Amino acid sequence: MNLEPTAIRHLYVHIPFCPKVCPYCSFYKEASDRNKTQAFLDAVLLELDTFGPDQVQPHTIFFGGGTPSALSTRQLSYLINGLRDRLDLSALREWTLEMNPATVSEEKAELLLSLGVNRISMGVQAWQSDLLVRLGRVHSAAQALRSYQILRRAGFKRINLDLIFGIPGQTPAQWQETLLQTINLGPEHISAYCLTYEEDTEFFRQLAIGQLSQNEFQDADLFELTMDTLIRHGYSQYEISNYAQPGEECSHNLAYWSGNDYLGLGPSAFSTVSGRRWQNVANTSRYVEQIERDGNAREFSESLSSETKLSEKIVFGLRMNRGIAEELVMPWSANIKDLESAGYLRREAGTISLSRSGRMVADAIGELFV
Amino acid sequence: MGRLLTRNFCIIAHIDHGKTTLSDRLLESTGTIAEREKQDQLLDSMDLERERGITIKAHPVTMNYSAKDGQTYRLNLLDTPGHVDFSYEVSRSLAACEGAILVVDAAQGVEAQTVANVHLALKQGLTIVPVINKIDLPNADIPTVRKQLEEILAIPADEAILASAKTGLGIEEILEAIVARIPAPPVQTDEKLRNLIFDSVFDIYRGVVAYSRVFSGAMAPGQAVRLMSTGKSYEVKEVGIFTPKPLAQETLQEGDVGYFIANIKSTAEIKIGDTLTEQRNPAPEPLPGFQEIHPMVFSGIYPINTADFEHLKTAMGKLQINDSAFVYQAENSVALGYGFRCGFLGLLHMEIVQERLRREFDMDIIATYPSVVYEVAQTNGEKVEVDNPAHLPDPSVIAEIREPVVECFVMCPNENIGDMMQLILEKRGEVQNTESLDTRRVMLTAVMPLNEILVDFNDKIKSLTHGYGSMDYEYAGYRAADLVKLDMLVNSEPVDAFSSIVHRDKAEGRGRLLAAKLKEVIPQQLFQVSIQAAIGGRIIARENVSALRKNVTAKCYGGDITRKRKLLEKQKEGKKRMKAIGKVNIPQEAFIEVLKTS
Repeated sequence: MNLEPTAIRHLYVHIPFCPKVCPYCSFYKEASDRNKTQAFLDAVLLELDTFGPDQVQPHTIFFGGGTPSALSTRQLSYLINGLRDRLDLSALREWTLEMNPATVSEEKAELLLSLGVNRISMGVQAWQSDLLVRLGRVHSAAQALRSYQILRRAGFKRINLDLIFGIPGQTPAQWQETLLQTINLGPEHISAYCLTYEEDTEFFRQLAIGQLSQNEFQDADLFELTMDTLIRHGYSQYEISNYAQPGEECSHNLAYWSGNDYLGLGPSAFSTVSGRRWQNVANTSRYVEQIERDGNAREFSESLSSETKLSEKIVFGLRMNRGIAEELVMPWSANIKDLESAGYLRREAGTISLSRSGRMVADAIGELFV
Repeated sequence: MGRLLTRNFCIIAHIDHGKTTLSDRLLESTGTIAEREKQDQLLDSMDLERERGITIKAHPVTMNYSAKDGQTYRLNLLDTPGHVDFSYEVSRSLAACEGAILVVDAAQGVEAQTVANVHLALKQGLTIVPVINKIDLPNADIPTVRKQLEEILAIPADEAILASAKTGLGIEEILEAIVARIPAPPVQTDEKLRNLIFDSVFDIYRGVVAYSRVFSGAMAPGQAVRLMSTGKSYEVKEVGIFTPKPLAQETLQEGDVGYFIANIKSTAEIKIGDTLTEQRNPAPEPLPGFQEIHPMVFSGIYPINTADFEHLKTAMGKLQINDSAFVYQAENSVALGYGFRCGFLGLLHMEIVQERLRREFDMDIIATYPSVVYEVAQTNGEKVEVDNPAHLPDPSVIAEIREPVVECFVMCPNENIGDMMQLILEKRGEVQNTESLDTRRVMLTAVMPLNEILVDFNDKIKSLTHGYGSMDYEYAGYRAADLVKLDMLVNSEPVDAFSSIVHRDKAEGRGRLLAAKLKEVIPQQLFQVSIQAAIGGRIIARENVSALRKNVTAKCYGGDITRKRKLLEKQKEGKKRMKAIGKVNIPQEAFIEVLKTS
C-alpha cells in the first residue's frame, strides 16, 4: 500500500454502551440496547469506509467509552475483524481497550488478545466497597481483583488501572491503601484522577445543591500523596494524572497531548486531521442515521489557527513531564520568568517543564497561554 | 394684586410629619386644585423622591384665598427640600419668604430635622407659624409637643395651631394665620429690578425655567435683563405663576413669586441665589446671601465595564442639566481606569445621583470611598484643597490639615444616651449639649467631623435606637485635625482606589480591618499576594493571600482537547472582569467591600 506521509497514525473508537451509568462520568454513553448494537457496529465500519481506510495506518488504536467490554465476544470480534479487514496494521504497536471489571471473562480476554489487542485499561477506581457504591460502580473490589488475574492469566503484558481520589467520604488512609494495593498487583500503568465534578453529571447536581462537598485542601494533599507514593514505587509521572513503569507510557494518549493527528470513530468521538477538529454527534441513534445517510456524523467542527495549535501544544505539552521546546514559549518570556522564579517551571537543555508545584496548578499556568 | 395682599411662605417639617399632606390640603381648601385632580403627594415629582418620602425640588404654587376680613389674598407656597444637603438651596427659598409654617407631628414630637430647619428659618428672620399636626392620632401628646416647642425651639407654645391635615381639621385656622401673622412683602427700596432666583429646572422644549421672587421693580416679557453674578444678559420671553399649572402673566411685580423663561440653555448658567436685574437700569447691588455652591462630598464614579465610559459621560451630562449642584470631572485611577471625580452637596445628594445613574441610565457603576474636602496648609505657606486622598501632598510639606466639621443634632430615647455618647466619641465628636425633649427622649448637640458621619453614622443611630433615633446637621466650618493618608498596597504597589484620609488614632485599626477584608475577597492566585496598610512609608498592617495550591483538572482524554482549551479560555475570561494590579487580579467586590468597611 502506498501511504501518504500525512497518514493518520492514531485511531480512536468510541463504544457508547454501559451496563449502568456512573454518576460522575461525563463521557457520552447510554445503557446497552441489543437492537441498536449491530447497527452501531456497522455504522462505525461505514464511517471508516467513507473516510478512507487508506488514509489511516495506525501505530495506536484505542477503544474507549462508555464501556467497550460491554460488547459481547461476538460483537467485539465482528468490530475488530472489520477493522483488521480494512486497515494496514503492520505498524501497529499499541491497541488498548477499556474494560469494566464486571465485564471481564476468560473467553473475552483470550479473544481480544488473539485479535491483536495488547493493552487493557480497567476502571478499578477504589478498593473499598463503600467508595465503589458511592461512585455507583457495578463491580466489587473482589471482582476487580479476579478480573485483573484473568487478564494476566490470559497473557496481557500491559495493563492500566484507573483510580480516583477526592471521592466524597474518602479518607487519606483509604487512598493510601488503594494506591498500595494497586502497586502490589504490579500493573504497568496507573492513572490516578482527582474526581472532577463535570457539568451534566449527577455528582455535579448534588454538589450544586450542597448534598456533596468538595475539599480542595484535602484534594491537594491526596494529589501530593499520589505523586509521592507512586514515584517511590518505581512509577514515573509522565503526565499530570498518569504514571508508568519504564517504557510503559500510553503512546495513544501521548499522541493527543503532543498535538498529533488522530481519527475518532463512533458517537461523540473527536478527530483532529490536518488543522481541522471535529466531533461526531453525541447520540447513538442519530449517529447511525447520519452515517447511513451521509457517511459522516460531524456535529461540531473547527479549524485550528496557528495560535490555537501553539496554545494547545504548550498547554497539553506542559502537562507532560518531558515538557516542551523552549522556543514555543518565546512570546511569553515575561510570564515564563515569573513562573520560573516562583519555582513552577524547570528549564533544562532547551526544554521547559512543570515542577512538582507547577503540576499542582497546571490549569492556572495553562490559562496564561490560551 | 397688591403687595399688601401677598403672602410668601414655606412649610418646614421632619420627614413624615405631614408637610406634603398639609400642602395638598391648603391647595384644596383654596380651590387651587379640585379633590378629583389630586394625586397623592402632588408636589413631589421624581419617583426616587416619592420612594424616599423626601422632596428635592418642587415648583412654587400660587393660591388665592378669601380671608375672613373680606379680602382676597395671593398666597405663594414655596417648596423647600428638607434635607440639610440642600441647605443652601433651602436658605435661598427661605430668603424668598416672609414666613414659615412649622409642622410637628403630635405623636412624634420635635425631631432632629425640625431643629435644623427652624435654625435656618430663624437665621433668615422668618415669622414662624407652629402647627401641631396629626392630633387625631390616639397617641398624640399635645402638651409635650407644646413644651418641646417652647423649650427646644423657643417658640411660644400658645401660638401653636392644632391640626390634622388628614381630616382637614385646623386648615382654616392655618390659612387665617398665614394672612394675619406672616407679614406682607416689605416696601421696595427703589424701583430697580431685584429678582431673587431660588431654583431652576430644565425643560427640553423651553430651556431653563427659573423660579424667582421679585423684591423690587417689575419684570415683563421683552425686557433685557442681566444676572448680577455672571454679568450675562438675556431677554425675558415669558413670566408667570404656577396655579399649579404654569400660567403666563403680563408682569411680575414686587413681592411676587413665579417663574421666568429667558432662553437660558443650562441650569449651570443660572446660579441659585443670584439676583436678576434690568440691563439698562440695573440695581446698584445684588440681594444679599449669594454664594457659589461648593460640593461638600466627593467620590469617584467608574463604569464597571470600562467600555461604558462614554455612556457614563453622557449620562452625567444629562443629570447635570437638571442638577447644577452636581459637578464632575474626568479622572484616571490606576485601579479602576477611566471615570469621574464627582462632587455632591452631601450624602443624600450623592446617593440620589448614584441611584439615578443606575436606574434612569441603567449604568453599572462602582463608587469609591467618599471623601470630604480637606484644607491643607503647606510648609511653604500655600493652601491647597484636597478632595481625593490620592492627591494629598507628601507629609513632609504639610504644616496642617483642616477638615470640615458639622454641628450635629441627635435625638434618641433616654435609655440609649450612653450608647449614643459612645458612638459620638468613636466618631471623634464632642458633645456640647444634652437636653431632655420630654420624659422619653433627649437631644444631643455635638460638633463632629463631616468625614465621620459620611458612611454609616445614620445607620448606626437607627440600629442602636431600634429606629427611634434621628440625626441632622449643619455645616460648621473647618477645624485642624491630626489626619493621615492610609494607603493599601497590593504586592507593594499602592492601589489609589483604596486610599483614604483618616485620623491618626484610627488609621491602624482601619488599616488592619481593610487588610483582613481584602485578604477575604482577593482570590488565591499563582503567586502569593501581599496586602499591606501603610501610613506614609510605615507599614502598619500586613496580610498574605497564599499562592494557589491546586488548580488542575485530572482528566484530559478522548481527544477532547477543544473542551479543555475552552475551559481555560473561560477561566481567563473570568479574570478579565477583575482589575489587574501588577500581576494581581482584584475582583470588583473588593472595591465594594472596602466601601462598606468603616
